[in-house]
Amino acid sequence: MTTNPPLALEALTLSLPSVAGPVNILRGVDLTVAAGETVAVIGPSGSGKSSLISVAAGLETPTSGTVRLFGQDLGALDEDGRARLRRGRVGLVFQSFHLLPNMTARENVAAPLELAGRADAMAEAEAWLDKVGLGARHTHYPHQLSGGEQQRVALARALTVRPELLFADEPTGNLDAANGAMVADLMFDLLAEAGAALVLVTHDEALAARADRIVRMADGLIVPARTEVST
Amino acid sequence: MRLALRFAGRELRSGVAGFRIFLACLALGVAAIAAAGSTAEAFRQGLASQAREILGGDLVFSIDQRRFTEAERAVFGALGPSAYSVRANAMAETPSGARRLVDVRGVAQTYPLVGVVQLEGADSLAQALAPSGGVPGAAVEQALLDRLNLSLGDTFTVGGATLRVGAVLISEPDRIGRGFALGPRVLTDVTTVEAAGLLGTGGLFGEAVRVVLPTEADPKAVIEEVRETFPDAVFEARDRSEAAAGAGRLIDQLEYFLGFIGLASLVAGGLGVGGAVSAYLEGRKASIATLKALGAEGVLIRNIYLIQIAVLALIGVAIGLAIGAVTPLIIGALAAEQLPVPALFAVYPEPLIRAGAFGLMAATAFSLWPLARARTTPPSSLFRKEMSGAPTLGLETALAGTAALGLAGLAILTAPSRWAAAGLIGGAAGAFLALSLLGLAAAWGSGKVRGLARGAVRLGLANLAGPRSAARTATPAIGLGVALLSAIVLIQSSLLAQVSVVAPRTAPSLVFTEIPGDRVAAFDTLIDQALNNPQTDRYSRLPLLTGRITRLKGQPVDIEAIDRGERWAFDEDLTLSALDSAPDNSKVTAGTWWTPDYVGPPLVAFEQDAAKGAGLKVGDTITLQVLGREIEAEIAVLREVDWGGFGANFGVILNSGTIAGASPRHVAIAMASREEEAAITQALAADFAGVNVISIRDQLEQAATLFDRLALAIRGAAAVAGLAGVLVLVGAIAAGARFRAREAATLKVLGGTRGQIVTAYLVEYGLVGVIAGLAGATLGAAGAWPVVTQVFNATWSVDWPVILGILGGTTGLGVIGGALAAFAALSRRPAAVLREAG
Repeated sequence: MTTNPPLALEALTLSLPSVAGPVNILRGVDLTVAAGETVAVIGPSGSGKSSLISVAAGLETPTSGTVRLFGQDLGALDEDGRARLRRGRVGLVFQSFHLLPNMTARENVAAPLELAGRADAMAEAEAWLDKVGLGARHTHYPHQLSGGEQQRVALARALTVRPELLFADEPTGNLDAANGAMVADLMFDLLAEAGAALVLVTHDEALAARADRIVRMADGLIVPARTEVST
Repeated sequence: MRLALRFAGRELRSGVAGFRIFLACLALGVAAIAAAGSTAEAFRQGLASQAREILGGDLVFSIDQRRFTEAERAVFGALGPSAYSVRANAMAETPSGARRLVDVRGVAQTYPLVGVVQLEGADSLAQALAPSGGVPGAAVEQALLDRLNLSLGDTFTVGGATLRVGAVLISEPDRIGRGFALGPRVLTDVTTVEAAGLLGTGGLFGEAVRVVLPTEADPKAVIEEVRETFPDAVFEARDRSEAAAGAGRLIDQLEYFLGFIGLASLVAGGLGVGGAVSAYLEGRKASIATLKALGAEGVLIRNIYLIQIAVLALIGVAIGLAIGAVTPLIIGALAAEQLPVPALFAVYPEPLIRAGAFGLMAATAFSLWPLARARTTPPSSLFRKEMSGAPTLGLETALAGTAALGLAGLAILTAPSRWAAAGLIGGAAGAFLALSLLGLAAAWGSGKVRGLARGAVRLGLANLAGPRSAARTATPAIGLGVALLSAIVLIQSSLLAQVSVVAPRTAPSLVFTEIPGDRVAAFDTLIDQALNNPQTDRYSRLPLLTGRITRLKGQPVDIEAIDRGERWAFDEDLTLSALDSAPDNSKVTAGTWWTPDYVGPPLVAFEQDAAKGAGLKVGDTITLQVLGREIEAEIAVLREVDWGGFGANFGVILNSGTIAGASPRHVAIAMASREEEAAITQALAADFAGVNVISIRDQLEQAATLFDRLALAIRGAAAVAGLAGVLVLVGAIAAGARFRAREAATLKVLGGTRGQIVTAYLVEYGLVGVIAGLAGATLGAAGAWPVVTQVFNATWSVDWPVILGILGGTTGLGVIGGALAAFAALSRRPAAVLREAG
């Protein structure tokens, strides 16, 4: 029996309306990510990288094409159905961190576990904060944390559910070099520990090089790769 | 739900600073409704607690134009301790010739049965009324002493009796229950009034008996028994529950009016509530999208924010209830002694529960709509900031709609007059809708004309047209407050003008009663001389009869079948007259008036509205009990009566042949200057001492004074609705503060000066104020005009200084709002703002 890949995109298109007419953001993307595989998506601004993650994670509905997460066609699910599918199986890390401002670091990390109905959400969250080096900052609110610390909290939140697939959209984009490197190291280490697949959007070629595979995007399409790194 | 509670609790931990406007708008409206209801209840409880004193006993039986028979007295006497009193209007005259109409009351020695008569200058009523030197005493109101220049111990005459001022009458315990008096009150012994000849046939007088029942007796059952004993008697009977029915109705009407203002404040403030929730949820868009990205379903999102809104609504309502409950206690502490009606100031649950229900429904109606939009916030808005949720027809919109209907329904159900309330609610809703559309139109129009302007003005117009324009929320909220205030001002100014300007011009200034029927010619001669041969538009005299309609079209009067507003002509005695022919300005609407030489069966001219209410038309017959006999008369004429004008303003006029042979008293009306009034009053003393002279001018001046006193209080109450509009404006400024700061920072980067930025905001908000003011005043006028002209039948009059003041104030409010918005936008350094936005 064949195991479904965590992610399979087929002929994906995304057009958004604008005052000047529809804007074609994705123009027919095909991509498959295998279990445990790390894929870096690189390309210039406006090439559709972040939109690719948005659609692939089920946060947005494509104009046409198919998105399968763990073999499930997202087109057959409504918004709540997609949310339920993400619970416990998908992690998300954003460039702007997107921590919940009125919750402490511990509560932020615990949130996806609470949504999944886990009774040990707080204890697990504390353990993950310790893992990312923020054991002393459990009760701090996001505005009391530095950028690097906020991203570490976001990383803990994404991985605490032990996802099968992690989406990371420019995870180091808002961080200085030192913090960015720390977050990147943490991400790959914890990812390897969890055995999760990764779809990483980044401008950082060095960061991209750490992935199993690099995919280049331009003008809403995946262009033929210049180099591929095999594990 | 436990998860939603947990997440909601975490959100609320950050405090309610962002919800100050939400809380203020809700608390203001709830406080106004609660204060109105609590104060009214205090007056109701006060009246109820003193019902016995106000009534003067447990029961009162009263009758007009005759004394009680011996049989009736025997029955009343068997019920319990009783106190008889008689009442009449008569002219009081001093030895120097000064004269004034007074309300004379003669009481038995058992009076008062309950309560105390408050006097000055005597230790007791018995002492005040005791004869001195053979002259009976009287307790006299200070107003009469001032008018006739009398002091304690001085003598004056009333009718055929000489009285001595034995004390100054401060108050009687049953004064409120006795109603309106035509002149200052004189209280004396019943035998004195009898001796003065004021209780004879033809004069207007009445008798009453107050009875104290045994504790276990049921007053209503006793009244029923007495009526069964005297089935044909026409006396009026009241028990404690009707002690001050008029005052009770007035309290109900005032409560509803003030409560309606509170409701209007709640509706106007609802925009502030909705705006605050919208702004809050807008700021939470990223959190909502993040939660959805983490796996939260829409229902959870809804519940998280619904719980927060519910908690904040409860806090806002609680604050309003606390203020509303305390307000009457403060009034009581400050002004209890000056109140004309007794009041028991305390915390009453029922009006607070009602106000709380209004508040919660308003919060639900205005909060859930933005929640519906927030719930559908797409998680992709994490990547695309401009994306927002689209409202759907789900639970939130259903609840909001139900709450809005509930709000209107509760307002109508709790009103003293449901049709009037439905009209008020419908009018307010229509005004709100019109103002909301106007706000949208103003925003649209600004967008169209902005190309014609330059620089800061163009920027202001662009802001007015933009998505965060204050025109959409502040215009309807401020406009509704202005509409309410304008309507009240216009109604008041018209009524005040009617009383102080129009009525003195068109209504009679003097009314003469008790003119002997056999001396009318001499009376006419005296008036001719005093008024220098007046035309019929200055003097008119008619016979005055008292009668009662007993049958309509041959059938006994069925009062329930008659329109409620027209029962006045059929459920009690009424005054009528008789004429040879049609009077001047007869305003016949159906039928033909009889000629002066008419001989035949009795004919009657009937007031058209009363006829319509009873289903009567020309040709139908009515049976009248008048002059001691029953007369069946055919309706020859239906006419429109100008009750406040100068003319034969009787609802029923018989042809004069019907009363041929009788010599009833006459009544006359005259238009006279103040000097002519004094001269006539003096001239009548010699030959017509028994003729009562009622100065309508005095009554109108008293009414005008009363109006003036109430005006300030009622306008102040209406200003509460305006305050709600101010809060909404402040809320709109606060909601857009971050955006304005970014805009101002960008403009500075592009070379804009502070002056230009301030000008833009002044233009934007100033226009909001102008538009809201003009629209509100126009709608207020549209609402006030039918009330003035159709309900009160008064002349439309505009108090321009006040209206212009309201318009100026609204414009000023807008300008101040613009200045505040500019101050908020310019208070931060551009670099910091732009860094945040990046």
